[in-house]
Amino acid sequence: MNLNYKETIRYLGYGKQEPDAAIRALIEGCWLELDASLSPKCTWDVYRLQHKEENRLCFAGMEVTSKSLNKNLAGCGFILLFAATLGPRVDLLIGKYTRLQMSRAVVLQAAAAAAIEDYCNGINTKLKSVMAEKGLYLRPRFSPGYGDFDLAHQRQLITVLDTPKKIGLTLTDSLIMAPAKSVTAVIGLSEYDTRCHLSGCEACGKTDCEFRRFS
Amino acid sequence: MNILEEMKKRLLFFDGGMGTLLQEAGLAPGELPELWNLSHPETVTHLHLDYLNAGCDIITANTFGANALKFTGDNTPTVEEVVSAAIANAKNAVTQCGCPSKYVALDMGPTGKLLKPLGDLDFEDAVSLYRQTVLAGAAAGADLILIETMGDTYEIKAAVLAAKEASDLPVFVTAAFDEQGTLLTGGSIPAVVALLEGLGVDALGLNCGLGPVQMKPLTGEFLKYASIPVIVNPNAGLPRAEAGKTVFDVGPEEFSSVMKEIAEDGARMLGGCCGTTPEHIRLMIDKCRTVSPVPVKEKNITVVSSYTKAVEIGPDPVIIGERINPTGKKKLKEALKSGDLEYILKEGLAQVSGGAHVLDVNVGLPDIDETGMMCRVISELQSVVDLPLQIDTSSPAAMEAALRLYNGKALINSVNGKAESMEQIFPLVKKYGGVVVALTLDESGIPETWEGRIAIAEKIYAAAASYGIAKKDILVDCLAMTISSDQSSALTTLETLRRVRDDLHGHTILGVSNISFGLPARPVINSFFFAMALQNGLNAAIVNPGSEDMMKAYHSFRALTGRDLQCAAFIEQYGGQPSPAASAQTGPGAADLSLKEAIIRGLKEASKHATETMIKDLPPLEIINSHLIPALDVVGKGFETKTMFLPQLLMSAEAAKAAFEVIKTTLAASGISEEKKGTVVIATVKGDIHDIGKNIVKILLENYSYQVIDLGRDVEPELIADTVCSTHAPLAGLSALMTTTVPSMEATIRLLRQRAPWCRVMVGGAVLTQEYADMIGADYYAKDAMASVHYAETVFSGNN
Repeated sequence: MNLNYKETIRYLGYGKQEPDAAIRALIEGCWLELDASLSPKCTWDVYRLQHKEENRLCFAGMEVTSKSLNKNLAGCGFILLFAATLGPRVDLLIGKYTRLQMSRAVVLQAAAAAAIEDYCNGINTKLKSVMAEKGLYLRPRFSPGYGDFDLAHQRQLITVLDTPKKIGLTLTDSLIMAPAKSVTAVIGLSEYDTRCHLSGCEACGKTDCEFRRFS
Repeated sequence: MNILEEMKKRLLFFDGGMGTLLQEAGLAPGELPELWNLSHPETVTHLHLDYLNAGCDIITANTFGANALKFTGDNTPTVEEVVSAAIANAKNAVTQCGCPSKYVALDMGPTGKLLKPLGDLDFEDAVSLYRQTVLAGAAAGADLILIETMGDTYEIKAAVLAAKEASDLPVFVTAAFDEQGTLLTGGSIPAVVALLEGLGVDALGLNCGLGPVQMKPLTGEFLKYASIPVIVNPNAGLPRAEAGKTVFDVGPEEFSSVMKEIAEDGARMLGGCCGTTPEHIRLMIDKCRTVSPVPVKEKNITVVSSYTKAVEIGPDPVIIGERINPTGKKKLKEALKSGDLEYILKEGLAQVSGGAHVLDVNVGLPDIDETGMMCRVISELQSVVDLPLQIDTSSPAAMEAALRLYNGKALINSVNGKAESMEQIFPLVKKYGGVVVALTLDESGIPETWEGRIAIAEKIYAAAASYGIAKKDILVDCLAMTISSDQSSALTTLETLRRVRDDLHGHTILGVSNISFGLPARPVINSFFFAMALQNGLNAAIVNPGSEDMMKAYHSFRALTGRDLQCAAFIEQYGGQPSPAASAQTGPGAADLSLKEAIIRGLKEASKHATETMIKDLPPLEIINSHLIPALDVVGKGFETKTMFLPQLLMSAEAAKAAFEVIKTTLAASGISEEKKGTVVIATVKGDIHDIGKNIVKILLENYSYQVIDLGRDVEPELIADTVCSTHAPLAGLSALMTTTVPSMEATIRLLRQRAPWCRVMVGGAVLTQEYADMIGADYYAKDAMASVHYAETVFSGNN
């Protein structure tokens, strides 16, 4: 993978400002080490999606009540369940520097956060073309915890996709993903190409967030 | 016939995939496959029967995920119900096929959780989970235990310990590697082989993840190191997603052809994993009929391992870093007493960069809980250093606790020729694996002659053999005794080394620097003795890798004896220019910076240098108040006004810390203790495993002279309250990253209010807001690390 410098500095809080040469060197040095620790993996599967009354959604043996997800999935007859991770060695690396050199730890953490997003986006692009062949269009990724899509559904997503076995992605008792740099999401599949669906920062209601992406 | 006997005589065959076939039979997404043992016993039995009819010798019961994390007995059957049904189904199939000489394996995969420190599953809890499954499987009549698809050496160790502690069944282990031959958590093939052979498993190998083509070269790697039969159970090719389904492309024909080659290479047990079918297995067995099994050879390699790396102790000498040992080291003693693990970790890292291959760990001090400290140091060291460790303690209790917890095959320091020592240590070596240092002394002391020491070495070899410990797992310590009291002692040691090599064909170890006690210019004589010892066959040297003289001897010896091909390591060490990093640290400019400037620019070395210069003329307190703190304030302000950012804030904090270290050392030398503003207890709350935010707060509070007691992450409310009470800390800082862990933050605050009403509580973390903080009853919401410093200033100045 390649370092996503722009996103890394955004996660570090730089906003529109440019870091100085020392920080740039730190970021590049961290990336070399991080890149060697990446073992990205993903898994996904497609299920039929049923919309029921009162924002209830049924798919893959799950039932989710969520207004925001229902809106995201409007018009979709299928749903793609998705999970990805950068692997546990990234956590070991960040853990190491959390004990030894915090400046490195925060940079690694930001670069890894950018890397998992990039990895997911890359897979997304591939999925887009795979699904296009079947006449299906992808909605933006939507993860448990977004809007009123309850984080508790994380457990079911992980079980349905069998992520511990397939990609080594597990959950702790308090629903924290381990490895930490991981993503689970659902993606609506629709026969209609409805554009202008916002995703990521642009879809988030917290407009005063200091990490908000500048579009 | 017993499977352990049978596997010596011929190739044995495993079955193929189960999960994929159950899905085809109608297993719903998310439905636990093990439930089908009870709900669809005929289907499961039928699948087993298909594999038996295909000719396989071993069928794996449908128990891959049968553990108490998934089968709690509340809304599900219990582990015991699932396992006994699964074994019964497999046994039914054996009965139905009419060949009673087939074997049923209790199948155990990963628990589905990651072990600490990666996840929240405690090592001993993992052992307990596996133990329950093992007991159920053994009671139901399984013939062997197959631990498979493992991705983490630590979880492998937990599963194997459970299997061996709770049953007498043969234990086979296969792990899932990537194409580079690396486990998910970083383990290499030699490291996995070392760990598993150390733990005494009966066969080992690889499964899942890859197809036969990718596994073939990895099998070669296994065969190179393993002294026990190798198992190869690949998928039907690399998984590929098609229309949302995982498909496998390698059909029975291709699969079986490659498997035949793998058998010819030397694998002794073959089968399939995901995507393989009875047809794959049938054809594979058919083609392998003409293959004559390659005998399993004892490799006679002496090897220790960490969770990623294996280090061979043999013809090429190995450096064991001796610095983590409090004997004669005042700073380390202090660090151990105050539980300052950071000092120890840095000492470890310095030895890694000095060129150590293994690190000795000794934490023995009179007034210390040695077992507890040894375990803490081992765990922490393993999270920053990936070298194997040498566990060095005279306490058998500490030794066992550390060996159990250690992730890998350790070097064990030590056993000696006394009957009592061997009775205590050998059972531990046998159970947990390891290479053990054998001191050539016994009840009558240290023999003065080489003959006496060789006799003890022979006695120890013989006793070890009676425990089933091979000679290769013993390093004879020929004992270096100072020549200042007996001039012949060096010659005795050297002759003992030579005799162990030439007569006993064993391996040796030495604490080299003991030779010069009481003499001047010790590094000189030590390094000459080191070179002589190497020439006489020394395989492992316990030395200080930071000693230039010793490392010169080591590098020169390797170059002179053809061990360092084309003198590459020697040239790399001594031939190059100073590295750019080193010149940047010491180059023009950096050295001349003022302390304030160095801290603001986040330059650690320059800050240290400036403090060293300054402390010659200025009292420490003035340096802190007039230079250090103002610099930190500048950075803090910059951070708050968004002209400086988190990495700079932390680089400055680290530079300030380096300055404090200099001041601390100077104060300690003049017998003055450092003044602290007060105690703050910080922790990431129960259930939360993120600690970056908390550690940022820690380093900043320390910069501002607070005594910070860091309880770590995933901390029980009781421990936080206990610590606040015992230290009477006026301030506690709690961190939580997830909405799911805020309730345990709230519980902690409640408990603190009850038990420590004087204590103020500040909270922070990604999900927290002022509103949230108010709701859970915190005194202060710290929006970032600087805010926590400001709040601490308020609390400790009494203005809150």
